[in-house]
Amino acid sequence: MVRLDRSRRKFLLSAGAYTSSSVLLASCLGNPPSRTQNTVATPVSSSVDSNLETTTIKLGYIPIVEAAPLIVAKEKGFFAQYGMSGVEVSKQANWGSARDNVEIGSAGGGIDGGQWQMPMPYLISEGLITKNNVKVPMFVLAQLNTQGNGIAIANKHLGQGFGLDVSGTRDYIVGLKAAGTPFKAASTFPKANQDFWIRYWLAAGGIDPDNDLDLLVVPAAQTVANMQTGTMDAFSTGDPWPYRIVADQIGFMAALTAQIWPAHPEEYLAVRADWVEKHPNATKALLKGVIEAQRWCDLPENRPELAEILAGRNYFNLPVEILTSTLQGKYTLGDGKPAVDNFQSGPLYWKDDRGNVSYPYQSHDLWFLTESVRWGFLPPDTLTTAQELISQVNREDLWREAAQELGIAASDIPSDTSRGIETFFDGISFDPQNPQAYLDQLTIKRI
Amino acid sequence: MTTSSFPKSSNSPLQAWIPAFRQHVLPPLLGILGFLLIWQLFSSSGLTRLPGPASIVLEERTRELLLYPFYDLGGLDKGLFWQTLASLQRVAIGYCAAALVGISLGILIGLSPFMNKALDPIFQFLRTVPPLAWVPIALAALQQNEPAALFVIFITAIWPILINTAVGVQQIPQDYRNVARVLQLPKQKFFFQILLPSALPYIFTGLRIAIGLAWLAIIAAEIVMSGIVGIGFFIWDAYQNNYISEIILALVYIGGVGLILDRSMAWLQSRLFR
Repeated sequence: MVRLDRSRRKFLLSAGAYTSSSVLLASCLGNPPSRTQNTVATPVSSSVDSNLETTTIKLGYIPIVEAAPLIVAKEKGFFAQYGMSGVEVSKQANWGSARDNVEIGSAGGGIDGGQWQMPMPYLISEGLITKNNVKVPMFVLAQLNTQGNGIAIANKHLGQGFGLDVSGTRDYIVGLKAAGTPFKAASTFPKANQDFWIRYWLAAGGIDPDNDLDLLVVPAAQTVANMQTGTMDAFSTGDPWPYRIVADQIGFMAALTAQIWPAHPEEYLAVRADWVEKHPNATKALLKGVIEAQRWCDLPENRPELAEILAGRNYFNLPVEILTSTLQGKYTLGDGKPAVDNFQSGPLYWKDDRGNVSYPYQSHDLWFLTESVRWGFLPPDTLTTAQELISQVNREDLWREAAQELGIAASDIPSDTSRGIETFFDGISFDPQNPQAYLDQLTIKRI
Repeated sequence: MTTSSFPKSSNSPLQAWIPAFRQHVLPPLLGILGFLLIWQLFSSSGLTRLPGPASIVLEERTRELLLYPFYDLGGLDKGLFWQTLASLQRVAIGYCAAALVGISLGILIGLSPFMNKALDPIFQFLRTVPPLAWVPIALAALQQNEPAALFVIFITAIWPILINTAVGVQQIPQDYRNVARVLQLPKQKFFFQILLPSALPYIFTGLRIAIGLAWLAIIAAEIVMSGIVGIGFFIWDAYQNNYISEIILALVYIGGVGLILDRSMAWLQSRLFR
C-alpha cells in the first residue's frame, strides 16, 4: 500500500510538473500573442539610385511626436524605397546623449545625425555645447514637423488665469517669488525650442523668465513626477506629454505652441557635415525617404496607423490611446478653457497653413539665432554674421534637389529661403529682413 | 541535510526534506512573503503611489514581460531575458577588467609602502565619484561609445577589489615574511605560496562587493550607449514613461542575477580554500 501510494504520488507529481512546465514553456518561449507583428509591405524599390555611396546611416531620435517622419520612413520602407536599406533609427536617452553620440559619430558607436531642437545643429557646429568646444559641423536638411508642443501647469495653480495671455498672473508669480517659493518651470534642454517657447510666452505676459521665476532643465519624466508631488509648477513640453499630464490629472494646459505661433518651426533633421559631403547621393535618398514619410504622416487616414507604429515597444513604448487624440489635433486644455479639436492645431509634417513644413526655411533658423541673442545665449554680433552661418549650416539646396528629383509639384516647393514676416499671438512680428526691429519691439530681453 | 541523518524516515524522502526545509527555506520564504505582503498593503492603502508587487501580474504590459522573458520581436523589442543577458555581457567585460587591473594594482600597492602613500589619496578621491559623473569624462577621453560604457562599469567596480587586495597583501603576517626571508624563498614562490593564499580572502571580499557595484553602473553605462538592448536602458526607458511596475520587474531580474553571481563567487571562494 505504501509503495503504491508512493508511486502514485510520484506519478502525480511528475505528471503535474510535466503539464505545468510544458504550459509554461509554451507560453514563455514564444512571442506574446497580443503582439503579432503587422507585416510592413515594403514598397517596390523602383527608384533606387545605383550611385549611392552608402545604404546605411544611424539616426538618433527622442521618443516624442517630432520623430515620426524618421520612424515612419524606416518602418514603412520609404528609406529602402530610395535605396537606403540600412538606415538605423536609434532611441536616445535624452538630448544630452544625442549630442554626445553625434559628437562621436557612428564610427565610434554613436550616430551620424537625426532629430534636433533648434538651434542645436548650430550650437554643435560652432562647438558651443560640445566637449572641449570641438566644432562638429552639421547640416540642417529638413524640418521634421511643426506645432505639437505646449505649456503645462500643475493643478495647484488652477483658477489663477493661466492661459495664452499670462499678463493677469504676473502679480501671482512675482508674489510667489517674494514669498520665497518661486514658481518653478522646466524644459528638457537649455537654449532650444522648448526653452524658447516658454520664455516667449512668459515674456509676452510681462513676466521675466530669468528674474521672476526659476526656469530649469529637467528630464521629462522627472518633471512630470515633480509636478505630481507639487515641486514643479510648469513644463514646456512636446506631445504626447501634454495629453498625459491632463489625462493623469497632474496639470492643465495653459497654451499650445500652435496658439503662440501658428505653424511655427519645430524640430529638424540634421546630419554631420562630413557624412553629407562624403555621401551626397545617399543624402538625397535619405531626404526623399523623409519627405515621402512626411507626406504619408499628414494624410488623416494614416494617423491611426501612425499612432500604432509610434506606440510600439521598439519606439515610444506607450499605450496607443495616448497618441491617438494628439495626432488628430484633439487637446483637452483644462482650467475652463475650451478643448481644441482641429487637425491643423496638432503636429503637422508636410503642409500647414503657411505652406510646406518639410522645407527648412533659412528665415526660421534666423529667428532661432535672433531669439538666442535676445536671451543672451549668443553674443549680439551673431546677428551681423548670422546670414553667413546659416548658409553654411542650412542646406535647403539639398532639400530642393531631392524634392525636384522626387517630382514634388513646383507649387509645393518654396521659391524663397524666407517664409516672410512671422506674427506671434501677442502681435509682435519678426521680419527676417530686419531681425533688429524684432528685438526692438520686445521689452523683456537680455541685450 | 541528507537522508542518512534520518534513517528511520527513509520510506519517504519527503519527510527528510521537512527539517531541511524548515531550517533553510522557510525563514527566507517567510521573510520575502512578509515583505511583499506589507508592501502590497502599503500600496493598496493609498498612502503612496508606488504600485504593489501584485501589479507585476495585474498590469497588462508588465504581465506580458513576465510571461514572455524570451520573446524577440527585433530591435529593442525583446524579452527581459535577452535584455539581462546583453547587460550581463557588458558587466562581465567591465568586471573582469576591473578584477584584473584591481588585483594587480592592489598587490603592487600592498607590497610597496611608497606606492601606497603615493596613490592612496588619488584612489580615495576617485572612488567616491558616482557612476553617472564618469559618463561625460569617459566619453570625452575615449571618443567611443561602447568603450566608454564599459569603462564606466570598470571604474565603478575596481575600487573595492583594489583596496581590499592592497589591505590583504599588507596584512600578510610578519612571521610569514620573516620565514620567507630566512629561507631565501625565490620571488615566485613567495608570491604563489605566501602572498596569494594569505591575501585571497580579502581579494574575494573585494570581488564580491564589486559585483554589486558593477551592476550599479549598468544604467549609467547604457544611457551612454542609448538605443541598445540592455536592462539598464530598459529601466531608463520605463522611467521616462513612468512604468513603475516594469521597473520593479526589471529590478527582480537584476537582483536575481546579482544574487546568483554573488553566491557563485562565494562557492568559488569555498572551493579555493578547501
